[in-house]
Amino acid sequence: MSELRKDLVSGRWVIIATERSKRPDDFRPGGAVAPAPEAVGFCPFCEGNEAKTPPEVFALRTAGTAPDSPGWTVRVVPNKFPALTPGPPPPRATKGIYQSMEGRGVHEVVIENPDHALELADLPVDHLRDVLGVLQLRIRAIERDLHYQYVQIFKNKGKEAGASLSHPHSQIVATPIIPKRVKEEIYGADRMFRTLKECVYCRVLREEEAAGTRIVSKNAHFTAFAPYASRFPFEMAVYPRRHSAFFTEVRADELVAMAETLKDVLTRLKKTVGDPPFNMVLHQAPNPSLPLKRWTDIHLKSHWHVEIIPILTKVAGFEWGTGFYINPVPPETGAQFLRQP
Amino acid sequence: MKKKILLVEDERPLCLLYEEELSRDGYDITAVTDAEAALAKLGETEFDLIITDIRMPGKNGIELITQIMGLRKDIPIIINSAYQSYKDDFMTWAADAYVVKSSSLDELKAKIRQLLGD
Repeated sequence: MSELRKDLVSGRWVIIATERSKRPDDFRPGGAVAPAPEAVGFCPFCEGNEAKTPPEVFALRTAGTAPDSPGWTVRVVPNKFPALTPGPPPPRATKGIYQSMEGRGVHEVVIENPDHALELADLPVDHLRDVLGVLQLRIRAIERDLHYQYVQIFKNKGKEAGASLSHPHSQIVATPIIPKRVKEEIYGADRMFRTLKECVYCRVLREEEAAGTRIVSKNAHFTAFAPYASRFPFEMAVYPRRHSAFFTEVRADELVAMAETLKDVLTRLKKTVGDPPFNMVLHQAPNPSLPLKRWTDIHLKSHWHVEIIPILTKVAGFEWGTGFYINPVPPETGAQFLRQP
Repeated sequence: MKKKILLVEDERPLCLLYEEELSRDGYDITAVTDAEAALAKLGETEFDLIITDIRMPGKNGIELITQIMGLRKDIPIIINSAYQSYKDDFMTWAADAYVVKSSSLDELKAKIRQLLGD
């Protein structure tokens, strides 16, 4: 029999099809591998093609190398053709019952390494830590401007996950409003805080670590697990074990542990289901410098974390129509496969 | 000497309009209606700038600019599409400008002047 499971924070229900769970091999993309870099042809993110991107806003580079030239290890550039343009947001326009505002914001691309073929999971831990450190730096720099209420970090890997270029990269989008989904998450965390009298994420972490059935990877600072109400097969969440609402508060030693965890879980995912496309999203509280009167004590109730969604199934009519997701792999089964050495 | 522009646009009426307008502005226009013809012309003539549509029969404009990068990285390229959505494709970064088609050619002409240093 299938089971309906409720996600504590969003209140979203998921149908877990426990009776006929699929195995990892059912999702392998027919043994297909990512196209070789030489087959891709020109790539604007590859080392040597710096002239094809806008001037870099930040780069980790070898001493003595000039900006926008080879010699970098991590490079951040603004979007060349952005949908959102930087600047203070003008007042909202009203037309009858409709409201609109100009698309103001920041859109940057973080090129994770100069090598087209090296995915995040393939990078040495030190390099992965550098990527995470650069993300922290950019968030801090963007959040200095209070016009940007929310900074979203995400990574799309593979065409099915929305990536238009296979060169490994992440994206940073800062918006002048707090997106609806983020608000829903804050409201959910607030509601659960009042019920549990503690951060819901800290409680979930404690329960998951005690049960162990959905744990995928764990070290001194981070725990990766398959969420109880996972919407997708092999979905994972990476939580910091120390409570914090903001990714920018992660300390240097914790950043190394985070790099180790990400490398571990992404490698496990690759081994288990054959290098699938995925989305990786950072969830955190809005710009900490904002005067958020509506959400008092947000730093106590929010808990930053990373969500990894492998794209192995398609979201179809039923999901769109009802908001219910049907997950053919129980998270306990998914975690068991992912834990295998 | 007149600056040479290669125009890749599959809609013939639009081709004629651009040819007329840009020739009047003093440019030497070579118009073709697909990517293969564009690649053939590039082998014959040294162009100063390329304007290309994206949605075309056969190879699309993004595939075309990717191939052009394998031949010449220094030639300025303007993407001229009716669709904003292709901006999400990072391969469009191979181009130097992205101008959404409109009834006025002012923005396109301004980009041409800027990229050719006129």
